[in-house]
Amino acid sequence: MKPLGTMWKNTRMIILVAVCAAIYAAALIAFKTAIPLIPGITEVRVANIFPMVFSLLFGPAAAWGSAIGNLIGDIFGGTLGPGSVFGFIGNFLLGYLPYAMWTTLKPIADGKRELALQNWRSWVLYILLALISSAACAVVIATGLEALGMVPYPILSSIITINDTVGSLIGGLLLLAVYGVVRRQLRLIWWDVMDPEDIGRPRAGTLGAWLVVVGALGGWILGAYLLSGQALVIGIIASIVILVGCFLL
Amino acid sequence: MNIFLYLDENTWFHRLDSRTKILGVLLLFCMAMVFNHPLYVAGFALGLVWLAAAAKALPNFWRVRYLLFLLVAFSTLLWPFFAKGPTPLWSWGRLQVSRESLLYAIAMGLRLASFVGAGLIFLSITTNEEFTQGLIRLRLPYPIAFAFSTALRLVPTFAGAGATIVQAQISRGLDVESGNIFQRAGKFIPLAVPLFIYAIRHTNMLAMALESKGFNPGAPRTWYYDPQMRRADYLVLALLTALFLGMLSLRLQGYGQVLPRL
Repeated sequence: MKPLGTMWKNTRMIILVAVCAAIYAAALIAFKTAIPLIPGITEVRVANIFPMVFSLLFGPAAAWGSAIGNLIGDIFGGTLGPGSVFGFIGNFLLGYLPYAMWTTLKPIADGKRELALQNWRSWVLYILLALISSAACAVVIATGLEALGMVPYPILSSIITINDTVGSLIGGLLLLAVYGVVRRQLRLIWWDVMDPEDIGRPRAGTLGAWLVVVGALGGWILGAYLLSGQALVIGIIASIVILVGCFLL
Repeated sequence: MNIFLYLDENTWFHRLDSRTKILGVLLLFCMAMVFNHPLYVAGFALGLVWLAAAAKALPNFWRVRYLLFLLVAFSTLLWPFFAKGPTPLWSWGRLQVSRESLLYAIAMGLRLASFVGAGLIFLSITTNEEFTQGLIRLRLPYPIAFAFSTALRLVPTFAGAGATIVQAQISRGLDVESGNIFQRAGKFIPLAVPLFIYAIRHTNMLAMALESKGFNPGAPRTWYYDPQMRRADYLVLALLTALFLGMLSLRLQGYGQVLPRL
């Protein structure tokens, strides 16, 4: 988690937060009313192709950028409310988990930050992380909105998980198209922009990554399908497991 | 199309300090969560409409009227199947609707509309600059506030660039209107790639421009604009806090509750 704090010392990373947030918010606003799924709460989020791509390219800047971008989407969309707090945390996870778990979800991950886009193993990891980060985002948002009495957990957790996973998978095409430009021409890949001592090492990365997997997938499947009568309790436990996992990453 | 919700009026609400507006809307959100009986929540929602009229924010309510209606309708249809109550009204297999769950559902629809309404009043009386300034004055770290305000300023620029890219791609034969949801989402890629590259190219230039002017995210800052809390601000915050505590004490005595949950 160290880069999430130390990145604020770096001017380029701060600008990347703003740019990521602005792109995400602009896409959210453009498609906010296109295909609503639960009016005022969520819609078919075409913009969701961005957070995972941002995450693998810009690391911690993507986590803050996705969170702020979602908040700005709520502000311009007129849906700012207590639910925006959970939207902020959920979208933060959507931007944080892919880059943080890319090197730590062993044995599927090989521990290297570089994206080997010609390697099938990288794409298996990409697909898994798309599902896990989407489910983690969904569990946190659905738990919060169920607790506030806004939308039932079983419905919202499934909608967000599927919606975000599909968005992230389509985002793979965007990643293929822009990775070379960002890495070699613009030299804005996050581990090149940040000082190595500001990046640090995870506390217990592999344990944290697997805790996130258990919390995200367990919270979604149990709360939405197997024990939906106890959805709020399951959501709270799963959210705590996810957040503990994040602190270890 | 104007994407901003701020309405440039000279009302008493507009003149409040931005910290008062932020803390005030948070208190309104808390108040909306106190009761779960539809009559009580409806009373609160009517109070919000009165506030919106006094703040001349009703045009924004009209702008999102369909959203407000759908929120109430959708919540009223959805919640009866998930909240359980003791007085059954209708059942079909595992699906059950009780009198309490129906009342709770109506209350939740009104609560959702109240959330949106309180947020709309706030956005109608607060400029983006005031919002950022208020967050800084409430001790949000400056680099985060700077990123937030920069993003707010960049959104219209990127939205405009996005519209130009859409027109350019359509003129080259891209059909963005046809196909199912997945096909239409896939067609977003030819639009997203140029938008992404256009936006990211800004990053290096913007960073160099800031650094050439001595930008240092951790340095102590001085302010040209130094807003002060006035007596009216303290009065508004005291009034809202008293109102919230009064509502909370009513709820704790058992008023305004159809189900023992939030």
